[in-house]
Amino acid sequence: MNRLDYLVLIATILAIPLYGLWRTRGSPSLGQYLKGDSSIQWATIGLSVLATQAGPITFLSMPGQAYESGIGFIQNYFGQPLALIVVCAVFVPIYQRLKVYTAYQYLGERFDRKTQLLGAFLFLVQRGIAAGITIYAPAIVLSALLGWRLDLTIWLAGGLVIIYTVVGGTKIVSITQRYQMIVILVGMAIAFAVVVYRLSPDLSFEHTLSVAGKMGKLGAVDFSIDPHKRYTFWSGLIGGFFLALSYFGADQSQVQRYLAGGSLKESRLGLLFNAAVKVPMQFFILLLGALVFMFYQFEKPPVYFNQPAYQRAMASGYAPQLNALQTQFDNVFTQKRAAIQAFSSESSNERDQAATRLRELDVQAHELRNRTKAVLEQAGVDPKSKESDYVFITFILQQMPHGIVGLLIAVILCATMSATSAILNALGSTTAIDFYRPLIRPNASDHHYVIAAKALTAAWGLIAIGVASFASLVENLIEAGNILGSVFYGSILGLFLAGFFVRRVSGSAVFFAALVAQTLVFVLFATTNIGYLWYNLIGCAAVLILAPVLQRIIFRGTDAALRV
Amino acid sequence: MSDNKSDAHSWRKVYGLVLSLFAVEVVLLYFFTIRFS
Repeated sequence: MNRLDYLVLIATILAIPLYGLWRTRGSPSLGQYLKGDSSIQWATIGLSVLATQAGPITFLSMPGQAYESGIGFIQNYFGQPLALIVVCAVFVPIYQRLKVYTAYQYLGERFDRKTQLLGAFLFLVQRGIAAGITIYAPAIVLSALLGWRLDLTIWLAGGLVIIYTVVGGTKIVSITQRYQMIVILVGMAIAFAVVVYRLSPDLSFEHTLSVAGKMGKLGAVDFSIDPHKRYTFWSGLIGGFFLALSYFGADQSQVQRYLAGGSLKESRLGLLFNAAVKVPMQFFILLLGALVFMFYQFEKPPVYFNQPAYQRAMASGYAPQLNALQTQFDNVFTQKRAAIQAFSSESSNERDQAATRLRELDVQAHELRNRTKAVLEQAGVDPKSKESDYVFITFILQQMPHGIVGLLIAVILCATMSATSAILNALGSTTAIDFYRPLIRPNASDHHYVIAAKALTAAWGLIAIGVASFASLVENLIEAGNILGSVFYGSILGLFLAGFFVRRVSGSAVFFAALVAQTLVFVLFATTNIGYLWYNLIGCAAVLILAPVLQRIIFRGTDAALRV
Repeated sequence: MSDNKSDAHSWRKVYGLVLSLFAVEVVLLYFFTIRFS
């Protein structure tokens, strides 16, 4: 990175929060602080919802995921449009009618205080950890490749978010997310154009896609019914539906985004915008990764993308093994290039032979990368994150023109800040409204609760930075972040769906059903290897089945509320 | 009341439109998979 890159980076990440602070100056009421104001329209809500979900992992890890395993991950989003329609039709009108600040207030209205607290507690645990991962995941990669100090990177990204989220509340989160998302979309569109431009002129774009397809990178839809396969049409549609329903319907970090709208119509349109654009957007991000893979079929890639870790191993006496692996890798690369050239041949027989040869060579290259990783582990070099997370950022740093490099680093930091601000805003609001107000200071003024919400948002920010600072103790964090949501979301969604659709059931029955369901998901997670998206369905179904059973057997005499 | 009914009807049409768009997206992805695999 040169001065121009740093100028673009600093200007981008500072200008948006400063503009947001200017737009939200003054003293907000409790309603304005927690729900924004009625001037927020559907386009801002739509971009805000999109930015909250995307986060840095989408822009840092997704291209690497496609580079490594192809674009099949797109199927994880197949349940989302359906779920968003259900949220628009069922959840949003109820929240708007009850005029709640948090989703969990609905559980208190429908059932009882302990069920409200359980829903809020599960959210706080899961999102409190997720906030730390959201800051840590890009910080570890950027600090490793750019030579920045990890602790300073965490504090700079986290500190800036804490300041503006605490000051401006929900309105500043919505405003900054709108502009951060615009920067992100423009940056990714430029990255896509540069990758296409930098592809080898030896192959047409169509041939390039054909080769990528033959190497297993472009399988977007897989109708397999094998439950052990992580990404299939069915797991995406069914498991992804329950994940998205829980995330958009019962996760305060999203609920707060669309309740920021002035009306039911604005909230719904913002969500439906996401239903329409999410799958195409993810497709282009994953395709970008597949094209980066094709770029590195002509331009020799490093045998291991996390170069700082690789260099540490080289310097600590493992150079002979690593050099031997590098020589073999170079040899495989040369053979791959020759096989790809054969794709330009007119003869389909030659092209088929080349495809078979390419797949064999790609397996060999993959094996050599695994052996390199094993040497790094043997050398005691702990990279602390997946190697594929370094693919796209390496491409940015080595192949993009100056100025664009700064913009794309800003994209990753904008994504970090936008997702983190939404989570901190939700954590602070939930703690203030669901715990502090009813349990600690029930009858204080609105001004008091605004101050409390600000203090709690700041406290959650510090906790998130604390989690990020100690996150290196956990292996494979990014995957952990994805799995974490699925482990908790099923039970939380079950609480809400029981409230909406199961009529004669009491708070106690739902509360204990959710506890049992959560325990069941923990046990399955620890003892089986089923695809994690299925936990959403299992947790939710367990609550919906167990609650009426417990109501009949144990809580027969208790008041089974009929309110929906 | 009739306003509410026509409003609900309008929203159902919007949901149908979004669902159709999603179906088209999946079909296109399926063709993409077949074409390039």
